[in-house]
Amino acid sequence: MSEAINPSQSSENQIRIPVQEGLFDFPPDEGQHPALLANSCRHCGKCFFPKRTFCPDCFEQGELEDIVLDRKGVIYAVTVVHLSSPSGIKAPYAYGYVNIPANKIRILAPFTGASPNSFHAGMEVELVLDTIRTDSKGQHIIGYKFKPLS
Amino acid sequence: MRDVYIIGAGMTQFGKHPQRSLRDLGREACHQALRDAGISPGDIQAGYCGNALGSVIQGETGVGQNVFWEIGINQIPIVNIENACASGSTALREGWMAVAGGFCDVVMVVGVEKAVMPKGTMLDVGAAELDTKLGDVFPGYFALVAQKHMELYGTTRQQIAGVSVKNHFNGTLNPYAQFQKLFSLEDVLNSPMVADPLTLYSCCPNSDGAAAVILCSGRKARQLAALPVRIAASVLTTGTYDNQQDITAWEVEKLAAVTAYQSAALGPEDLDMVEVHDAFTICEIIHCEDLGLCAPGDGGRLIDEGITELGGRIPVNSSGGLLSKGHPVGASGVAQVVEILWQLRGAAGKRQVANPRVGLAQIMGGSKEGDTRACTIHILIKE
Repeated sequence: MSEAINPSQSSENQIRIPVQEGLFDFPPDEGQHPALLANSCRHCGKCFFPKRTFCPDCFEQGELEDIVLDRKGVIYAVTVVHLSSPSGIKAPYAYGYVNIPANKIRILAPFTGASPNSFHAGMEVELVLDTIRTDSKGQHIIGYKFKPLS
Repeated sequence: MRDVYIIGAGMTQFGKHPQRSLRDLGREACHQALRDAGISPGDIQAGYCGNALGSVIQGETGVGQNVFWEIGINQIPIVNIENACASGSTALREGWMAVAGGFCDVVMVVGVEKAVMPKGTMLDVGAAELDTKLGDVFPGYFALVAQKHMELYGTTRQQIAGVSVKNHFNGTLNPYAQFQKLFSLEDVLNSPMVADPLTLYSCCPNSDGAAAVILCSGRKARQLAALPVRIAASVLTTGTYDNQQDITAWEVEKLAAVTAYQSAALGPEDLDMVEVHDAFTICEIIHCEDLGLCAPGDGGRLIDEGITELGGRIPVNSSGGLLSKGHPVGASGVAQVVEILWQLRGAAGKRQVANPRVGLAQIMGGSKEGDTRACTIHILIKE
């Protein structure tokens, strides 16, 4: 299990690419915690990650403002996958749904920082940026994960 | 709206057909359906084809035109439909609408797929979705659903695995099924873990195959069919993608069920047999709950008490389900309806349910943000 990294302080000359644009600032600014970029509807308060252009409930009556999600979450459900994923993530790996109580949102994320079998529903976790997989050119695909709250 | 009847059905054996093309499999199912209905290709006024993965796996688009051309159907409207696992059943609904709306008197619906993958690999679909990039896989999502169902309701691994044992037993009685082999509870529980708690034999296989039905108006049905079977409800819903919802039930399915029961003017207690989307064992347990065959959380008890077995109060997946019959993605929704038609006709051989009159088919397709893109329900009644 790889340790959470600070991508801007990589000692090697590895190429690091975010798994998708617009999810988090990358590389993060010096000394900044990683944060997920979301938005919320000024009309109904609902949060969206990844960001949306319209609130599906309020449509043109809603106005979306940019926010960052709280870094702390609680695992809602977890499983351990025992076959490597078609995208190239090596088995076994743990992933599941994390509730972010401060933002009333649930997101899907891989888990890291402990043995895959040690995660359970109700466990408190916090956000890190980490390598999801390495692609065929050896480039690190960087995404967000959650690790046990220290 | 006009009443719509099914007057013909056909399907290929589900399984591995490495030497056969999509159009060849589709042709066989369509040909059988035409012979079953006793009509000729020239009688068909529109064709609807469900295929989910041809563009991904075979690099083939326009599968419907290819299939229908093989049996000499051309010039008429042909429509290709992709709605993931609900592709075939969505095609069925399009055909139903054409006849119900009075636009056509006789239409054909086919579902066809070649989805067999190299051993030990998973279907690589939805690669552009963020969840997939982060490691979400189909068995993983349903494993999360199973984990939550176990946590909330105390559903056991044995109950979940029992779905596979039951459906594989039914499959041994179905000559069209991919697996013709009995599995014990130990076989299922001890097969390799895929995504905890789902083991290999808790997951349906990827399969090749095709299924077809012919729909017509009431007037035509009375001319042609000795035993007309009516489509009493045809419903399609899509998810809300509300990521705060309880993942141990699918609102998209409950909505489809309520709508279908209203449309058919009956309730779950009137059903004599049900085919549900058991792509993974846990799915059957939850579908039974969402369809109202039992209370939420009681799906595991249906297995313990044998209620959904062939001789039980409400047989579920008499065909063997996707777990045993196989899952050629775009064909599965049509094949469920073929099974119900055969059962209602009393033509289901060794797996025949005792004198059924009403059958329900449920299938859903495509995960999105922990919800489902498409859910269809069809209710068939023998008149």
